[in-house]
Amino acid sequence: MLLQSEIASILLNGLQQGAIYALLGIGLTIILGTMEFLNLAHGALYLVGAYTGLIVFQETALSNGLLYSSGITTLGFEGGFLAALFVVPIVGFGIGLLMERFVAEPFYDRPETDQLLVTFGLALIVEETVKNVIGGNTFQSIAPSTIFGVNVSQPISLPLVGLFPSWRLFIIGIAFLVIGLTYLVIERTDFGLVVQAGTHDSEMVRILGIPINRSYSLVFAVGAALAAFAGLIGASIQTVSPQIGTEQALVPAFLTIVVGGAGSVRGAIAGGLVLGVIISAMTQTYSQWAQIVLYLFVALMLIVKPEGLFGSAEVGE
Amino acid sequence: MSGDRSGDANEAVPDGGTVTEDAAGGSGGSALAGLRDRDDFVVIATAAALVVFPFLLIDILGAVGDVIGISIGGYTGLPSLVLIYGIIVIGFNLLLGYTGLLSFGHAAFFGSAAYSAALFSQVVPSPILMVIAGTIVATLLAWPIGFVSIRRSGVYFAVLTLTFGQALYFWALGPGSWLTGGDNGFSGIEAHGLFVGALPLDAQLVPVFDSYTVMYGFTSVVMLAALWVGNRIINSPYGLIFEALGENEERVEFVGLNVFRYKLMAFIISAVFAGVGGAMFVIHEQYIHPTTGLYWIQSGDFVIMTVLGGTGSLIGPVFGALVFEYVANVISGVSLPMIGSIGSLWRFVLGAVFVFIVWVFPRGIYGAFADLAAMVNGRGGGDGDEPAAADGGERE
Repeated sequence: MLLQSEIASILLNGLQQGAIYALLGIGLTIILGTMEFLNLAHGALYLVGAYTGLIVFQETALSNGLLYSSGITTLGFEGGFLAALFVVPIVGFGIGLLMERFVAEPFYDRPETDQLLVTFGLALIVEETVKNVIGGNTFQSIAPSTIFGVNVSQPISLPLVGLFPSWRLFIIGIAFLVIGLTYLVIERTDFGLVVQAGTHDSEMVRILGIPINRSYSLVFAVGAALAAFAGLIGASIQTVSPQIGTEQALVPAFLTIVVGGAGSVRGAIAGGLVLGVIISAMTQTYSQWAQIVLYLFVALMLIVKPEGLFGSAEVGE
Repeated sequence: MSGDRSGDANEAVPDGGTVTEDAAGGSGGSALAGLRDRDDFVVIATAAALVVFPFLLIDILGAVGDVIGISIGGYTGLPSLVLIYGIIVIGFNLLLGYTGLLSFGHAAFFGSAAYSAALFSQVVPSPILMVIAGTIVATLLAWPIGFVSIRRSGVYFAVLTLTFGQALYFWALGPGSWLTGGDNGFSGIEAHGLFVGALPLDAQLVPVFDSYTVMYGFTSVVMLAALWVGNRIINSPYGLIFEALGENEERVEFVGLNVFRYKLMAFIISAVFAGVGGAMFVIHEQYIHPTTGLYWIQSGDFVIMTVLGGTGSLIGPVFGALVFEYVANVISGVSLPMIGSIGSLWRFVLGAVFVFIVWVFPRGIYGAFADLAAMVNGRGGGDGDEPAAADGGERE
């Protein structure tokens, strides 16, 4: 019988892992839903986000790095993580725009297997580039010790859960802030309306005279920025190495949208949380079986409810 | 992808089950074109190529390498390795190129056969029986996985196969490590003699050339058998249905055929090939690890080889396997005058080439050469309108 505190800590850890899955899943799902483009390089964007975060973190650190050597020794925050919080999504956004224009667009009218293949190749290229430019070695996670002057390196005591790393609490907070904002943008703005309509019937949106091609690049860029942001969050919790793009990001992102339902933002959030809680529960109880149970759950989900929690059956088919 | 097959202008004669292929580099008349598909011709032509293959790859390229000062010749095990992957991708292409199903989980069949063969060798150290044992296990595994995965199509099919493959990978790495050796991998494979201890696999077949080992002979025979079977399948009425499925599934359903059954069969057949290859691989390498055997990147490698070589023909993917393994094993060790050691850059280069091929030559290297040959022969249609039309026809 699990103790209450164990359940609470499983849920909290699940929330943290689920937030990363959800961020990845939202990006993948809006791209898949709107453009019916399946991006196997989504994990590569996570990788780019993690490494960009790492570089910004190191270069803006005030004990060494670029900023220090140019004479700036105080910015009011430690470790450069806040700088990374802004730089990483912008870099991701830019890469997303480029990807849409040069990689995705030529393949919209080709078979979906071709899309899978070309983005798979692209993922390989990115991973190998990182390996060759930065090196294949593993970097420590980039969590700063203080943020806004608050010490986040010490665990704090929470009711029910007990001791929990305060940095992870901060991460959960900021991840859900971004998830919430994305959700609001898609639910409440004109841009979101176009995206939603696009996921249902992009042909109809075009016929109505809405310049969906411009929305395409925006959607792609937003998706990429979210993936890069997820990479930054992931890098602050786990170690960074060139393999994380495929191992920690791409496959979980797919599982997330399979569980949530392709094309649905709500589904990606729900799917991410469900998977996060499963993996967290398994890790704390039978850690050897964690990944296996995760995969079998997704397989079962596909068989029992193939359209996912919130998806419509046709999207991504 | 599969739509590109129409570029070959196949004409089926349903009753006899024969197919004549009259495009793609056929310089002669229909007599030659007819000959190209005959089983004995395919097998004999390939056998001839297999006889000279190690000589070209190791001795000739080695000699050229000595002259230019860059070692570009293969090592003695490479020809066998290329053929082993060749066997796998012939089967994989039946699924991807003909039936139009993209599986990201074939490492499951490759790896399970490899582990089964390795475990079986502890009891009966006979390579031939090891291959049979490994193939049986892969086939038995393919049935339930296929049964579930085939229910979904397109992207979902890819994700489902990936899911099952990864579950097996993590099982082999964790809970199943009592059987698989876990992260230490599985070594100690006993497979030394081809026939009950006689004919050790690393013995030479031909006195002077040390690249012609018994292992190579064994692999060649299996390769020829695989090719013969593959050719039989695609030229039979049964294989025609695979091809029809790749082009338009709905139409096949309207004709009244059981789509599910044929797709499942295509899946299982391709898994049999992967199983044979997996067992051969473990005999060749004497070692298997979850990462080389079961990880999804291994499945991705099968995809790359197949697409690189060309999905539009039976033999095409084998060229992909050759390019892939040559780049991975030889080019990666080359040190160029200006650039220096290539080392791990090979995957980068391969990724770039792969993207280029998918982009520009959807029919792969073999397809590109076939188009080129057709152009030289003044037919000209090969690379122009036909693939474009095929791509257009693919969309729904």
